[in-house]
Amino acid sequence: MMKQFSYRHTKEADLMKSMEETLDKQVNMSDEEKFSFAEFNEKEVERSGYSNYSYWRSTLQAFLKNRVAVALLVMLVLLLLFTFIQPYLPNQYDPNLIINDENGMQYRNVPPGDQFILGTNSIGQDLWARIWSGTRTSLFIGLSVAIAEALIGITVGVLWGYVRKLDFILTEIYNIIDNIPNTIILILISYILKPSVKTLIFAMCLTGWIQMARFIRNQILIIRDRDYNVASRCLGTPTSKIMVKNLLPYLVSVIMLRMALTIPAAIGNEVFITYIGLGLPVDTPSLGNLINEGRALITSAALRYQLVYPTIILSFVTISFYIIGNAFSDAADPKNHV
Amino acid sequence: MRNKKFIAMMLCTVMAVSTALTGCGNSGKTTGDGESSSSAVYRELYSSESSTLNYLVTSTIVEQVAGANCIDTLVEYDSDGQLKEGLATEWSYDEATLTWTFKLREAKWVDNTGKEVADVTAQDFVDALKYQLTPEYESANVQNLFGVIANAEEYYNGQVYKGGADEDGTTWKEIDFSEVGVKAVDEHTLTYTLAKEVPYFISSLVYVVYMPAYGPQLEELGKEFGTAADKMYYNGAYYLAEFAPQERHVYKKNTLNYDAANVFIDEIQNIYNSEAATIGPEMVKRGEIDYAEISADLLDDWLSNQDTANLVSRARPSTSYSYFYCFNFDPQFDEEYEPDNWRKAVNNENFRKALSAGLDKTKEVAVLEPSTPEDYILTTVTPFDFAYNADGKDFTTIGAVADLGDTFDEVKAVEYKDAAMQELKAEGVTFPVKVLMPYNPSTVNWDKECQVVEQQMEALLGTDFIDIIIEAGPTDNFLTEVRRSGKYAFMKCGWGADYADPETWTDPFYQAAGESGYDAGYKYAFLANAITEGTATAAAVQEYFDKVDAAKAITVDTNARFEAFAEAEAVLIEHALVVPFSITVSPYIATKLDVFEAQYAPFGVSKLRFKGQHLQDTYVSMDQYEANKAK
Amino acid sequence: MLKYLAKRIGRSLITLVIILTIVFCLLRLMPIEGYFPNFEKMTPQQIQVGLDEMGLNDPLPVQIFRFYKDLLHGDLGTSRIYRANVPVTEILADKVPVSIKLGVLSMIVSLLIGIPMGALMARYKNRFFDKLGTLFIVCIQAVPAAVYYLYIQLYGTQILDVGLLFDINNPKYWILPVLSMSLGNIAFYGMWLRRYMVDESNKDYVKLAKAKGLSEGKVMFKHIFRNAFVPLAQYIPTAFLNTVIGSIYIESLYSIPGMGGLLVTVVKKHDNTMVQGIVLLYACVGVLGLMLGDILMVVLDPRISLGKKEGDR
Repeated sequence: MMKQFSYRHTKEADLMKSMEETLDKQVNMSDEEKFSFAEFNEKEVERSGYSNYSYWRSTLQAFLKNRVAVALLVMLVLLLLFTFIQPYLPNQYDPNLIINDENGMQYRNVPPGDQFILGTNSIGQDLWARIWSGTRTSLFIGLSVAIAEALIGITVGVLWGYVRKLDFILTEIYNIIDNIPNTIILILISYILKPSVKTLIFAMCLTGWIQMARFIRNQILIIRDRDYNVASRCLGTPTSKIMVKNLLPYLVSVIMLRMALTIPAAIGNEVFITYIGLGLPVDTPSLGNLINEGRALITSAALRYQLVYPTIILSFVTISFYIIGNAFSDAADPKNHV
Repeated sequence: MRNKKFIAMMLCTVMAVSTALTGCGNSGKTTGDGESSSSAVYRELYSSESSTLNYLVTSTIVEQVAGANCIDTLVEYDSDGQLKEGLATEWSYDEATLTWTFKLREAKWVDNTGKEVADVTAQDFVDALKYQLTPEYESANVQNLFGVIANAEEYYNGQVYKGGADEDGTTWKEIDFSEVGVKAVDEHTLTYTLAKEVPYFISSLVYVVYMPAYGPQLEELGKEFGTAADKMYYNGAYYLAEFAPQERHVYKKNTLNYDAANVFIDEIQNIYNSEAATIGPEMVKRGEIDYAEISADLLDDWLSNQDTANLVSRARPSTSYSYFYCFNFDPQFDEEYEPDNWRKAVNNENFRKALSAGLDKTKEVAVLEPSTPEDYILTTVTPFDFAYNADGKDFTTIGAVADLGDTFDEVKAVEYKDAAMQELKAEGVTFPVKVLMPYNPSTVNWDKECQVVEQQMEALLGTDFIDIIIEAGPTDNFLTEVRRSGKYAFMKCGWGADYADPETWTDPFYQAAGESGYDAGYKYAFLANAITEGTATAAAVQEYFDKVDAAKAITVDTNARFEAFAEAEAVLIEHALVVPFSITVSPYIATKLDVFEAQYAPFGVSKLRFKGQHLQDTYVSMDQYEANKAK
Repeated sequence: MLKYLAKRIGRSLITLVIILTIVFCLLRLMPIEGYFPNFEKMTPQQIQVGLDEMGLNDPLPVQIFRFYKDLLHGDLGTSRIYRANVPVTEILADKVPVSIKLGVLSMIVSLLIGIPMGALMARYKNRFFDKLGTLFIVCIQAVPAAVYYLYIQLYGTQILDVGLLFDINNPKYWILPVLSMSLGNIAFYGMWLRRYMVDESNKDYVKLAKAKGLSEGKVMFKHIFRNAFVPLAQYIPTAFLNTVIGSIYIESLYSIPGMGGLLVTVVKKHDNTMVQGIVLLYACVGVLGLMLGDILMVVLDPRISLGKKEGDR
């Protein structure tokens, strides 16, 4: 788990560096955009002096060039859609339904075959249904954590960067939270509260947001005192408008990347928490639950399918998010926009 | 710049020093390899660590293993469950059976290297008892002595309250230890004086509370007694040569023990592995350990596979632990599960009977025991083969409990349901009734059992009638947080016998009436609440309590006593206050020991002893197991 | 410089105190069962006697004060449940060396393999070796450690013909745990070194060096590698100190008596004194690691000055 966190942090540090460089190069373009808000009527004249370069279009173009990432993105979207469609397909079992044969005994450990696509587990539940349901739960956790972290992180980060009085307090809070190993917080929270999806999301968000906030704050410190912002302030633009219109657009790609990396990290954390016995109850299938149940059977070759299938899905989701996230951050780098 | 160089040097030094530190530190430990191949070494994995070796204070089975194998008791059980002599060679009691006199044999205390340090004397039993009755040492077993050994409770509480009063207003004066009913008459003569006539006293001597400990050492170490292998002495079949927590425990045969000729395993190595359930079976396949549990999940595969089919046998069936479903009469769970609604429903006898008749026990037990679940089903709370009356008749075949059949009855369940629905609707109960069924996630397969029960009962009784809600409780302190705090509606509970008498099976349910209301007891079903709240169930509960009182009063005539307890238990089950369920399913195991050679008693620590067992060359197969059983 | 150091250490100490105080207070919120190994069967009197004796009936500030006073004397208290009545320091002293030994070995292995791997991947960017390396990195990241560790153990022991459990005295038994532990870090070092080197190689000074006619290899190692290694170096002290924490997966699988699962175990067992001791250790490791990392970076790269970096780590 430590591993994943450090990946994420280093990634961000790296990104921050490249953002700074990027920003220097973008200033011209940005000034142009900002000044256009100030109701200059000679727009036509201004525009003719520049190429019709659009940052977002170029980013998209650069991203589309990365075939692997695009293919993965398409597959990931399909997978996501399928997890939602799957329960409504015909002949699907309920993931928690224990299926009995004609004699009333459970279909125990039936290997993958015609009746059960991916086989059944040791009490006769359909693994196919459980895996999809589990994927749904895990993705839900991942997305929720990512979104919650983004929302809290952005709000606090923008305030932190812009309101100087808050800087001292928040910096101290950051120093403290950053120094407590995440493992401890995850374990303590999962332990004190009852295991549930909500608890897990809460435990993971509890510290994650501050990283995001710190990140946003640093970006804002860099951009805040650029000339066009000083100009905006001088022209009497309200702070809230400066934040939303002048600052946030620069952060979108950073935020997207962070969210893309948070999702697999959260799913990985769920597996870890389940492993140490503080995870979700079994009637809420999740990838962590399935992998943990499967691990116990690894010594029997005939039963190993119960471990392999959930692992494949988990690995696919993780790889996809990492590669897409990285491809996107590369594409967001103007050096790659030719 | 100079500063930087200085810091760089500092950093290097720090790293070098810490690397050097890691270099040493482990040189001292050896693993006990290189034993001569002729000695029998038994290896096993364990995943739950003992926090102490102090057998005088612990009540958990894991922690009593050390005591069981390293400390001899006054009496022992043989492999057939017959009482025989242990440290005591003969014993007698007075006419009132209140004063018991034991003659001790010559025995030695040895330390953790097997070297003799002292003789075992009667005083060691007295000192051990005094240690337990000292509140400072927090012995978990003092309750077993209260009301049994004369003045034990008085002495203990005297030290706690020092002449003051407890919550119930009873005052406890400090008394001298000499008034407590245990005496060393001479070096080899020990007497216990009982507070009242206790029919099961002799059988309870195999429990840790009556074990001796070397007095001067207790005195010297106090709280530290038993915290490490060199912080206790041994007089039993084995001594503990190494106790490295979360690493390994190594027991070696004590050649100075009086019964060393009957100890056939020379060394026992318990190796810690928190993934024992996963790794253990694989290690058995490779022959690296001599014992592992094979979970029901793996079982089918093992039995169908030629290489492994002959490695599996079973543990000896245990009839000292009983599972039953409790209805909670004092619901304290969250509003969202509608405790008030449950309170009304549970006090309706037809409702309880519907649930009782609607529970297909065979199906649930099949989760743990797929092949012959019906062997483990109980029709009574008291397990079969547990206690016999003076004529040798099993308790479950006596009197009122003899006629109880399996509670599961699909037809009747639906009839009860219809009746209950009609009656309860009139009382304003909303349907479906939410039935909160928590489980402990750390108990293997309990989660799966709950899922099976939910589906089976909801299918039979209909989701218009009940809505079973499965909820994972906390992994630790599950009992305190869930059962004792009344945070369940309908839950599988268990109880282990404390002594060889049917009375032990009334302990979870019976609540004594005190001046300030009913004693909370062990907080199982909170039956007395029905009486204090004056609900429809009050009469049934009162009947049960009265019958238990009556049965307890019969102390001499065993047959009458058993019959009276049978009558009480029948009330409990017929009014569906409790639903009997099963005995412990004896797990499938791979072992090189013959489980039927081991000492056997349904209670106490006999089952934990390795004495008398032979280490075989191969794992016991199912056929061998059956053959051994027949012997 | 020294002034900065003093300030930095002072701040780290304050951070430590705050963390400990928070955890201390959090632990007091947990149920009192935690203090008694045999809570289930204890009488209320026994519980009261026990609580009084441990001073847990005192007001919270008094308890905190006492905790710090003991701490200054190097006394972390005694374990209550994990190992009843054994001092926390004694327990940790048994376990920490094992984890460090394993961790340091694994760190050396990961650096020895990961750094050359990353450098080679950057050198042959987009060629076969780079792709192979990327595949390895992606796989290691994607497959949960809980799963591939187990496979390595099951098959690795058969290949090497060793037992499933660890034997501290036999070097052959060290191979699998160390290797498993290293895999993740190899991927980590490889991935980041490659990335930093690729970034660096696009910079003007590198182009200049090449234009001057320096050989490819010389540019790679004299210029690019040295610069690219600096950000990684910042991470190394933390990684080194983190070896104290151990690996819960590896240590559980191979029965290695280290620190790995200890925190989880003691949290689950409600052994509060143990939790405090371990949290202190973890927090020290975290705080110290960051500090050493910053300092090491300055030492390696004279362009970075500490004073400027302060407050904006």
